[in-house]
Amino acid sequence: MSTATLSAPDSGAVPRIDYLFLGAALAATGILVVLVLLDGQPASAALILGGFGLGVAFLKAEFSYTASWRRFLTRGEAGGLIGGLIVIAICALAVVPVAALNKNFGGAIAPLGPSLIIGAFVFGIGMQLANGCGSGTLYTVGGGSGRMLVTLAFFIVGSVFGSLSLPSTLALGGVDPVLASDYLGPWGGLLATLLSIALAAGVMIAMARKRGANWRPSRSYIIGGTVIGVLCIGVFFAGGHPWSVTYGYTIWGAKIFAALGFDFSNAGFWQWPGNKQALTSSVLSDTSSLTDFGMIFGAMAAAAATNRYAANAWPPLKSLLAAAIGGLLCGWGARIGFGCNIGAFIGGVASGSLHGWIWFLAALPGCMIGIRLRPAFGLSRD
Amino acid sequence: MRKTYMAVVLLALVAIVGNHLTSPSSGRAVSPEDFAGACAPCGAPCPSKK
Repeated sequence: MSTATLSAPDSGAVPRIDYLFLGAALAATGILVVLVLLDGQPASAALILGGFGLGVAFLKAEFSYTASWRRFLTRGEAGGLIGGLIVIAICALAVVPVAALNKNFGGAIAPLGPSLIIGAFVFGIGMQLANGCGSGTLYTVGGGSGRMLVTLAFFIVGSVFGSLSLPSTLALGGVDPVLASDYLGPWGGLLATLLSIALAAGVMIAMARKRGANWRPSRSYIIGGTVIGVLCIGVFFAGGHPWSVTYGYTIWGAKIFAALGFDFSNAGFWQWPGNKQALTSSVLSDTSSLTDFGMIFGAMAAAAATNRYAANAWPPLKSLLAAAIGGLLCGWGARIGFGCNIGAFIGGVASGSLHGWIWFLAALPGCMIGIRLRPAFGLSRD
Repeated sequence: MRKTYMAVVLLALVAIVGNHLTSPSSGRAVSPEDFAGACAPCGAPCPSKK
């Protein structure tokens, strides 16, 4: 995500607190926390607050998967990707062994097959046009980017379309998830996961060096990645699963469509037990929605605490068109590919699931196409 | 853009609270992968189960 779309203060400028939006963000978070606590759900409150912390961390570190992938593909710079691997390595320390040893916890797993590959590839195109992935969209929307409001709206619509397509793409075939701990045990699985992350880092560094580019993550990415990794562990313990983002979008969209009269009773995706229940249950009963809401309001609070909020003008129409198309592709791709950078890549790899790496390798060529398309919408390739 | 943002925040908050108050709560927050037969975060079944 380009930070140019956020209203970050100039270096050296005196921070100006936007009390209206800071108060709105804190009040909204407080209301949601009180609602779930009234239901006797402290874990749900922890998920909201964990999301809030993630929103602050992402915004303050300007932690962007989309921009990191773009810098790697266009300039060979690997620092951003290495920062992302820091998040995964920290998260894996808890997820792999705990999910293997405690039946109350589970890792992020997914079938391997055409659906995963097609979804990740399409998501890669979309995230470069949208200028944000799942988490990037949340924290930039929270940070005050009007362009990303458009992305989020179309991301939600795209993910509902994806939910309708998923049974068909699953019918193309595939094999069951491959989880390192199933073959190597909890500690062997963790070792294999950390080795795979180290191998990936080594390849990225070698490729950066070959192109004469910088491979070292910036200080903000090291600190931000560490904080985000620790918060990921907190979200895992509160929710019982690794952090995920885009399933919340699907639920929000389906609830809106249902309220408008759309009938999901013949849609295969919405007959699966968890989805059927989620469609009729409170949105605050869905783990990913809880962290999503927290993340938006956390980023909003962090942005409003340092600058006049959402003070930028709307971007050109072509840029908004890219946001809409990118959002649709991201939404559809995330549902077909079992998640975004967070749910599929970070969650998958941090769980020791092979689908995380396959998702990454399939999304990269999609990103390359997305980067080539960016100039047509007035967006820079860098 | 500030007015748009404030309107979106208020609308979203009303929608969330309204949905929560008018819908059954599942108790503990869940994810589709918590349900039997789920093979992915979205609750998709395993290919071997077909």
